[in-house]
Amino acid sequence: MAEYQYLFTRMEVRGPLYKGIALDPSNEDRVTGSATFSHLLGKLGDAQLGPIYLGTAGVLSLLFGFIAIEIMGLNMLASVNWNPVLFIRNFFWLALEPPLPQHGLRLFMPLHEGGWWLMAGFFLTLSIFLWLYRTYRRADQLGLGSHTFWAFAAVVWLYLVLGFIRPIFMGSWSEAVPFGIFPHLDWTAAFSIRYGNLFYNPFHALSIVFLYGSVLLFAMHGATILAVGRFGGEREVEQTVDRGTAAERAALFWRWTMGFNATYESIHRWGWWFAVLVPITGGIGILVTGTLVDNWYLWAMDRGFVASYPTYGTLDPLLTPTLPPVTAPNTGAVR
Amino acid sequence: MAILNFEKKYRVRGGTLFGGNLFDFWVGPFYVGIFGVATIFFSVVGTLLILVAAAGGDTFNPWRINIAPPDLDYGLRLAPMALGGYWQVITICALGAFGSWALRQAEIARKLGMGMHIPVAYGVAVFAFFSLNIIRPLLMGAWGHGFPYGIFSHLDWVSNVGYQYLHFHYNPAHMIAVTLFFTTTLALSLHASLVLAAINPGKGRDVKGAEHENSFYRDFIGYSIGTLGIHRLGLFLALGAGIWSAICIVISGPFWTRGWPEWWTWWLKLPFWAHM
Amino acid sequence: MRFNTTNITMLSLGGVIGVIGLALLFTFERLPVQSVQTNFRGTGAATVLNPRTQALLTAANQPPEAPEPADATGERAREIYENVPVLGHLSVEQFGRIMNVMTTWLYPGEGENLGCNGCHVPGNFAAEDMYQKHVARRMIQMTMALNSEWTAHTQNAGVTCWTCHRGNAVPLNVWSEMPVAQGANFLTRPGEQNRPAPLAGYASLPTDAMTSMLWGDNEIRVAGTNQHPRPESRTSIQQTEWTFSLMIHMSSSLGVNCSFCHNSRNWADWEQSPPQRLNAWYGIRMVRDINNTYIESLRDRFPPHRLGPLGDTLKTNCTTCHQGQNRPVNGALMIQDYPELLPAPGTALPPRLGPAADQRAEVAGPRAN
Repeated sequence: MAEYQYLFTRMEVRGPLYKGIALDPSNEDRVTGSATFSHLLGKLGDAQLGPIYLGTAGVLSLLFGFIAIEIMGLNMLASVNWNPVLFIRNFFWLALEPPLPQHGLRLFMPLHEGGWWLMAGFFLTLSIFLWLYRTYRRADQLGLGSHTFWAFAAVVWLYLVLGFIRPIFMGSWSEAVPFGIFPHLDWTAAFSIRYGNLFYNPFHALSIVFLYGSVLLFAMHGATILAVGRFGGEREVEQTVDRGTAAERAALFWRWTMGFNATYESIHRWGWWFAVLVPITGGIGILVTGTLVDNWYLWAMDRGFVASYPTYGTLDPLLTPTLPPVTAPNTGAVR
Repeated sequence: MAILNFEKKYRVRGGTLFGGNLFDFWVGPFYVGIFGVATIFFSVVGTLLILVAAAGGDTFNPWRINIAPPDLDYGLRLAPMALGGYWQVITICALGAFGSWALRQAEIARKLGMGMHIPVAYGVAVFAFFSLNIIRPLLMGAWGHGFPYGIFSHLDWVSNVGYQYLHFHYNPAHMIAVTLFFTTTLALSLHASLVLAAINPGKGRDVKGAEHENSFYRDFIGYSIGTLGIHRLGLFLALGAGIWSAICIVISGPFWTRGWPEWWTWWLKLPFWAHM
Repeated sequence: MRFNTTNITMLSLGGVIGVIGLALLFTFERLPVQSVQTNFRGTGAATVLNPRTQALLTAANQPPEAPEPADATGERAREIYENVPVLGHLSVEQFGRIMNVMTTWLYPGEGENLGCNGCHVPGNFAAEDMYQKHVARRMIQMTMALNSEWTAHTQNAGVTCWTCHRGNAVPLNVWSEMPVAQGANFLTRPGEQNRPAPLAGYASLPTDAMTSMLWGDNEIRVAGTNQHPRPESRTSIQQTEWTFSLMIHMSSSLGVNCSFCHNSRNWADWEQSPPQRLNAWYGIRMVRDINNTYIESLRDRFPPHRLGPLGDTLKTNCTTCHQGQNRPVNGALMIQDYPELLPAPGTALPPRLGPAADQRAEVAGPRAN
């Protein structure tokens, strides 16, 4: 009993390219030349690609972002002696590392000892802030609320904590994250090892709860909207201000399932808060690590939320002057 | 409040998957149905077993309760209750409750004339649980490879199982799963922001519709996926996160026994640059 | 299906992804696997093994067959031979036995620089001309120390020359300090990490934790010892990566994973650690002792081609003996067949236990970070 489940568009109706809502003359022109249709994109969503509004801030943001990526890439390329094949082979392993610890919070240092990292970070930050301004300005010019701006600001907070605020509190740029695929994963693992297991950091726990919660919410929300697609359920603004049967069914589904339902508007408030709380709580968790708490496991022990297991009772040899000779290692399990 | 003002016309009998009109009624806002009864049965039994098992432990502190699977020595056999048997029965109850819940969602969707997206999506989450505590233990030959039931004890399990492979971040499926988790959250924040911004544009401004939404996204990033497409994208990203999470743990052990960083040596050994 | 551009694009895209996906399947291992629990149930601590790999390892690590035991009575070697300071206390029969077996362990075969000629001037066994003889003498002293002072690590299995050498004059798994490759001028240098390196288990971690922690005695413990920061707890993420790299080396060398010695929820805590960790702790000290007291002290004896690119000796790490097994040589109790490699009666130093084992080696290696 195959029926249309709204998973992909079966028939694409193509009208003329839509140039977008007219903008106030204080804006620059949109880049309309490259606008086109893509049949493949149309399978999933809207087939129209472009136009885009660049404007001064957008161009500068892209330029500074390009400079940042270029600094990273050229440093990585230099680290393999400008060998392009080795660059591709080792790419995941390569990095632009933060400054050496002895440079502390200095702003000027030899380029290969962290100067390039600082410069790349500077340009990347500049690019991000220009993009942040762009999220505000583009919405405002169309008469929309600034929700995207605030959501983006939340993740900028996490970015700044990792590369700027926490290093300042710790007194050294070397505390920041390297730019690189595997190296930043090494940093993440080492960060947890150094500070006694991030799983016991309650802000980290909250951040993961919101992360998984966001995925859960989007699965629930996306599935609900598609499931009422045959009633025009994807017209969320219309259903919000003038409730139709799609909104009623969507609401009743969750009401009947779990005794509670969001509305067409409030589900987006739930989603928004879950999503922005991921970087907000995550950023707090990173910021207090090493500054206020040095070992999360010991912190958790002190607050009594660590599960207890039978232990082997192995002794620290450094603290045990009269340690008895070790017997053959026990490969069995403690019961 | 038990019933919304428009609710009455939707509350009709029929559309059940199984058992005709048996339990085809509502209690307060809840739909019951035969699978609702099954859900209640499994969750009550499971919860009671958790409490009984906790009583055999040393704490009732909810953060510290730990109901652990059996020792690996028990293999795929049943273990004595206090030595992992509780865990085994609770696992059955959990799967019974999750499965009934999915079927109940399917019944409700049928009653409301909706698509089956929600029960299918929920099924992916259940599949992730099923992979962790049934498929992987089966493949590795012992129920003891399942994760324990406890808030912080299951995190200890995550930590240790990760370090079974020395550095779990190098697990390629884990990389994909994490990327999908973050991308889903990004997409959710963007979608939610856009809808809220259209409905709440600020004092003195009119509510905006899809035309403005499309214009904003085209101005912003050059592409607007559209009101229907964003929900497809969100659903696919979210389900991808769940599916790749399940894959990343099922391959750890059954299909890879060494450190995950070592897995990448195939890339380094590709013939055209193996000598470098 | 109509063959328009989109469909062809999607088909070819799907085909490419399918082929790559299929090829990637061959990068994995396969069922069945074996597992051994290493901590309380449900903590997720287990050694996970591939039985096919294990069979290969077992075959590759067979101990050599021991010759008939020698009569320990009768005349002492020093009464018959010249220049036998470290083995002179053995009976002549024992002395001949261990010399013979050493040729098969180190220089198997006959000819120039093989068999006895590996260390001795042909026709003049007493001559001290060959550097190999001096090295061998120091190594015998080391072996005796490992079988007496370091029983906390070597236990009842003990070690012989075979444990490392396996029929090679230079053991296969040795390391020396590697030059830091230079970047171009003021651009970032590769430094000691961020490239695939076997010693770091192919992670992007520091590539040479050996120099820092198995030659030098840099602090391995990195986690905070107090819940709140103290002025003295300034261990960096970088230092942590060095420790992580060393631990990955240890795990890979032994064919085990982190949970063999730790409960990763609190790496530092000894109480929840399986007792193997104690053994490993002594192993680290033992390797430092080997590298400093015994091998580096021979630096001037070695010809340049037996030294690393930076002029230091070829040193040991966990792999040198373990070679993928948590008990080297299939767990054979090597020393029981070779009592000749125990210290002369009355000369053995007491086992190094507890803090005594952590005393700095006489020749401390470089502090690398």
